[in-house]
Amino acid sequence: MAVVRRNILTDETARKSYVQGVKLLKQEHLGPTTADLGIAGPPVEVSTYDLFVAWHHHAMDTFTPPTQGDRNAAHRGPVFLPWHRFMLILLELQLQRVLDDADVGLPYWDWAADGDLSPDDQPGSAVWADDCMGGQGSPVTTGPFALDNADPTSWRVRLAANVQGQLGGTDRGLRRAFGQSVDSLPRRPDVAAALELSTYDEPPWTTLSEGFRNTVEGWRPLDTAPGLHNRVHVWVGGDMLPSSSPNDPVFYLNHCNEDRIWAAWLRRYPDSPYLPDAGAPEELRGHRIDDDMYSLLTSPITPRQTLDPSDFYTYDTLEVS
Amino acid sequence: MKRSELAQAAGPDALVERVAELGPELKRQDQDPHGHGHGTPMETTREATYRGHHIVIRTTYQIEVDGVPIQGHMGVSDDGQVHYHAVPNIGFASAVDMVKQLVDAFPDDFQAGTATHSHGGRS
Repeated sequence: MAVVRRNILTDETARKSYVQGVKLLKQEHLGPTTADLGIAGPPVEVSTYDLFVAWHHHAMDTFTPPTQGDRNAAHRGPVFLPWHRFMLILLELQLQRVLDDADVGLPYWDWAADGDLSPDDQPGSAVWADDCMGGQGSPVTTGPFALDNADPTSWRVRLAANVQGQLGGTDRGLRRAFGQSVDSLPRRPDVAAALELSTYDEPPWTTLSEGFRNTVEGWRPLDTAPGLHNRVHVWVGGDMLPSSSPNDPVFYLNHCNEDRIWAAWLRRYPDSPYLPDAGAPEELRGHRIDDDMYSLLTSPITPRQTLDPSDFYTYDTLEVS
Repeated sequence: MKRSELAQAAGPDALVERVAELGPELKRQDQDPHGHGHGTPMETTREATYRGHHIVIRTTYQIEVDGVPIQGHMGVSDDGQVHYHAVPNIGFASAVDMVKQLVDAFPDDFQAGTATHSHGGRS
């Protein structure tokens, strides 16, 4: 039976389950080590949660095709929304497994509602309260993901990208720096403007495209970029900036809301197809509707297989703007 | 896609098997993430066709911070925005602004005003 994904600020059960679930995944070690992930140095066991961090990093490190340096296997191209839907479904299945509760759904953070607050008020949103995601800092010192050096089970970043773009081992607290690079979150009118775009994606199928995907990813319109998804990463800052951004559990709340916006778009334009189609040129491999998507943790699936997720989940509401 | 199919494929044993299967490729990718060779300058190429003419613009960047080279992948879009692969959610009008963002985003690599040369191992 499909689960219902709910607003983390209005559903206490969803909020508590999510926090408990990601903490359990952070403590679970199934066997893979840093050596299995191609990371230099003595092998260290990698938690199930951190396998998702590595997956995201390596997807971003895989150019599609390798002869260009813009589109990668999960971003800056059409596959952005299907790939992250795939990732979220897999994490949701892991949460259900470790919590032994098939009714657990990922929560979303309706960040555009906070974006309608004044920039000064946005760091005070309830999402950053002690009983939700905690606040900012280097390291974060409040909430469920605060570092406590006396508690070996407190949240620790164990894999992180460095400035050379390589994934390495580390052992430190989570970092956030609200509003350091952009002063405000996306707003509801920004979401509404994206929903006006009836074409999923269009040539050149990159960060220059004018369609829905590129706008909701946050590369267009250029005069307000970073927008939507990108702007949330940049506004939260700290560990949400690099390719290892799933280190922050807020990553999944952001992408769950992105996915909800896509679901609203799919309902609004039922006859607007995913693009590019299967007959598109080979240079779009990895982004066409029947191409395998990059997967570190299971056999790959295709964008087409993500277009109807109703057997996995629904949303409590698709009112997104 | 049906929940039952993916749930089975995403079980703990399956995750471990899949990671083991991809391990050698990940190791190769880590050693030379973007195929440009360690220690070589970053070159970006933009191509376009205009009135039947094929345009190719190659730009080479050699970036240093405190004398230490920055060697991750960098790109330039056709609209002139530069981006750096390790900070994937933001583009920049200027490479200088981009490097300032790198200093903010990777404090462990730029401690006390001195860049450290990371190789991806444990830090």
